[in-house]
Amino acid sequence: MKSILQPIFTRYWNPYVVLLIAGILSALYFTLTSTVWAVTGEFTRLGGDLLLLFGVDISGWQYFDMVHLQGTTWNRPDGWIVWGMFAGALIMVLLSNSFKIRLPKQKRRYVQGLIGGIIAGFGARLALGCNLAAFFTGVPQFSFHSWIFIIATGIGTFFGSKLTKTRWWKGKPSLTRGSGKPTQGKNRIIQPYIGGTIAVLYIGLITYFFATGQKFLGLGALFGLAFGILIERGQICFTSAFRDLFLVGRSIMAKAIIIGMAVSSILTIIVISLYDVTPITQIAALSTFVGGVLFGLGIVMASGCETGMMYRLMEGQLLFLPVFAGNIIGATFLAYAWDHLGVYTVLVKSGAKINLIDSIGPIGAITVTLVMLAGLYALTVYGEKRYHRKLAVKKGMNVHAS
Amino acid sequence: MQAELEADFTLDLRGESCPYPVIYTLEALEGMNKGELLQVITDCPGSFRNVPEEALAHGYTFAQDPVKNGQEYLFYIYA
Repeated sequence: MKSILQPIFTRYWNPYVVLLIAGILSALYFTLTSTVWAVTGEFTRLGGDLLLLFGVDISGWQYFDMVHLQGTTWNRPDGWIVWGMFAGALIMVLLSNSFKIRLPKQKRRYVQGLIGGIIAGFGARLALGCNLAAFFTGVPQFSFHSWIFIIATGIGTFFGSKLTKTRWWKGKPSLTRGSGKPTQGKNRIIQPYIGGTIAVLYIGLITYFFATGQKFLGLGALFGLAFGILIERGQICFTSAFRDLFLVGRSIMAKAIIIGMAVSSILTIIVISLYDVTPITQIAALSTFVGGVLFGLGIVMASGCETGMMYRLMEGQLLFLPVFAGNIIGATFLAYAWDHLGVYTVLVKSGAKINLIDSIGPIGAITVTLVMLAGLYALTVYGEKRYHRKLAVKKGMNVHAS
Repeated sequence: MQAELEADFTLDLRGESCPYPVIYTLEALEGMNKGELLQVITDCPGSFRNVPEEALAHGYTFAQDPVKNGQEYLFYIYA
């Protein structure tokens, strides 16, 4: 038994496999609930909950009506997606004995994380979705806003990567002469036991939801758990998909995400055709573009997006506490700015909800989506090749110089 | 654990999150003379994969297999 379980908990899983499963599960979640895997909508509601806690009157804020701020996070299925993801990630971290409090030596990271988190939270909600609802689960809903969002995120990430490379931003690492000392290991391993206990309790909670007829809370909690397990085990990082292509010519995450989206799109179009479910469509407007650029910039500044920061925090990377706080502050500020500062009138009002299925039919929608994804894949491969060609030229010049 | 190699330089990246472990490692290797040995100590789980893969993709070689040391990894890379 141990020999089967060992690789599952000690090794990270192949991102292609993980995103394929995530794509299938998100299509299944949509089939069962008619909602999609998303997180930042709930972050906005959490911000609303906090405002209410501090006695702020938010009854007139249109954005909170739009995202259906009702009840508490504990009786919202979207809330359980978020807490389930945290739980799933934490359980896997503990089972693999990899929890450790990790504090960045570069103190500037905390400030970068907070500011980046605010920009990413604001941008995501302005665009009505982060890398999930406006990207990974947005494309398979054939909502055109996700197409704009992807391009805009790419642009934002490009500028973020430029910033990351500057000396004052990245700081100097500790490079010393000679061999360094690794941390002395502890022999007592207790993390897997804690992880196992949390897993049992959490499964008990899911069972309770189903047993008491709270089906949607149960599904949220169950799928949240699965998504949390997947993103942690696959080390799925949407931030790195674009960024690492620009920074070091690394393409694996981008390719895996594109393939996951393609599979999810095919499954979703089948579900929509068979069961006549209405796809989730968001407004495509100037706000989608502006929000996407801000989101792309923010996630690179913060070193993590709204999804990636969840499992990183559970690993004990405390940098992601200010990022999480920033995400909620940014999302809440957008909710305020929506009607109080005229964001809706200037950036959103002129837009429209465009769904490709309505515009060009189901066959057309899946065809253009797959063509678009193939194009993205080709661009990714091109970006990687271009980086390595430049690198080879640079190395060749160094050889000649020396 | 395998026999410890005597490294010329040590890059202690404990606490740093992605993408900085990769950036720092590649920059350190770039600044070293060919054949010198760099030891990298890192504890960001993302870097367990992207540091060795990118070091190889950028044409550097490993002196030995990565060493898992509790919640951190040690890499030995030739510049």
